[in-house]
Amino acid sequence: MDNNFFGEETAEILGLGELRVGTCPMGTIGLGSCIALILHDRRKSLAGLAHIMLPESHGNTDRPGKFANTATNALLEEMEKLGSTKFSITAIVVGGASMFEYSALSLNIGERNATAVKDLLHEQGIRIEHEETGGKVGRSVYFWPKKKGRLIIMRADGTCIAL
Amino acid sequence: MELDPIQKDALAEFGNIGAAHAATTLSQMLMSPIEMTVPEVQAIDIAELHNHISNEISAVVVFQIQGEIADGGYIVVSMPRETVIQLTNQMLGTTDTDREINEMDQSAAIEIGNIMISAFLDATAELLGIVMLPSPPALAVDMAHAAFASIVAQVAGDVNDVLIFNTELMSQAPPVYGSIYMLPNTELTQQLFLMLERLMEPLP
Repeated sequence: MDNNFFGEETAEILGLGELRVGTCPMGTIGLGSCIALILHDRRKSLAGLAHIMLPESHGNTDRPGKFANTATNALLEEMEKLGSTKFSITAIVVGGASMFEYSALSLNIGERNATAVKDLLHEQGIRIEHEETGGKVGRSVYFWPKKKGRLIIMRADGTCIAL
Repeated sequence: MELDPIQKDALAEFGNIGAAHAATTLSQMLMSPIEMTVPEVQAIDIAELHNHISNEISAVVVFQIQGEIADGGYIVVSMPRETVIQLTNQMLGTTDTDREINEMDQSAAIEIGNIMISAFLDATAELLGIVMLPSPPALAVDMAHAAFASIVAQVAGDVNDVLIFNTELMSQAPPVYGSIYMLPNTELTQQLFLMLERLMEPLP
C-alpha cells in the first residue's frame, strides 16, 4: 500500500473521517470529494488535520472528523486547548473534487464539502492561506507543521506542488 | 458491524455467484479464460479504507443498485490503467500499449463494466428472488482510493463501516486484472442478511 511518507517515521496518515492535532507530519492519501482541512499555528509548530467526508453532521457526534462542521469545531477546540488562539491559526483547504464523469448519480459531493468548510472558516474568522479545491483529479496531501509549515500536494495526473 | 462466520459465508457465496457470471461474460468478450479469486467479504471501518484500496491510477466504473430495492448502494468495477488499455486493444485489434487513456478507453471501460455488472446483479438477484438493476454507469480515471472515498461518502453518512465484497479477475492473455466491489447501503445490507438467512434454513 502507498502509505509511505517520504521516509518520515513519526508521520501519520489519516483515514476517512479521522482527525488529529499534533506536531508530527500528517497526511491523507487519495482525496476525492473529501476535504483535507489543515489548521496551522506556525508560532507553536502545531497543526490539526481532518479528513472530511460530508458537509453536515445532522447531529452525529461519534466521528467529528467525518463532517465539515464537527471537524472544524473539534480541531479548533483541541488546538485552543494546546494554547493556540484563533488569530494565530491559518487554514489550508485541499480536495473537494468531482470525480465522476457522465454521472447522473449524486456522487459529486466535493463542491458542497468545499463550500461548507470555507463558510465555516469564514464564520470563525480564520484566514485561508492556501486553497486547492474542485476540479476533477484526486489528490494526496502531506503537511509538516514545523515553523512556517511545508505542504506537498500530489495530484492524480502526476503533477505535484510543494509550498 | 461484526459479521458472524455464517453471515460471512453466505455473503461470500452470494458474491461468488455474481462474480462467476461476470467472469463468464468477460471471458466471452475476450475469448480467453478468466481466473477469479474466492470473493472476500469484509466489514471495513471507513478510517481503514486506505489500507484496503490502493491508490493506483485506475478506471473506476460505478453503478447505483436500483430495481426493487431503490437506491441500494453501489457496485463498482475497478481496473488498473494498463488493463483498460489492454482491453481496448484486444477489442479493436490495436497493439499500442504505451499511451495515455483516451476516449475510446473510457467508453470501453464503461461498456465492459456495464456488461459485467449486469451479469453480476442478474445472477445475485435471481438467487434472492428480487430484481436488481444497475443505474447508468459513472466513470472516474483517477486514484482508486479517491474514487472509492467519494462512493463511501454516499453510503456511510450515518454509519462508520461499510460492507465490501471484493473479487479479483485475472487473465493471462491479454494480461488483464480487475476487481469487483459491492458496497450495499445499510438497508440493502439488512435485506441481504434476511434473505440469505431464509435461503439457509433447512427445508421443512
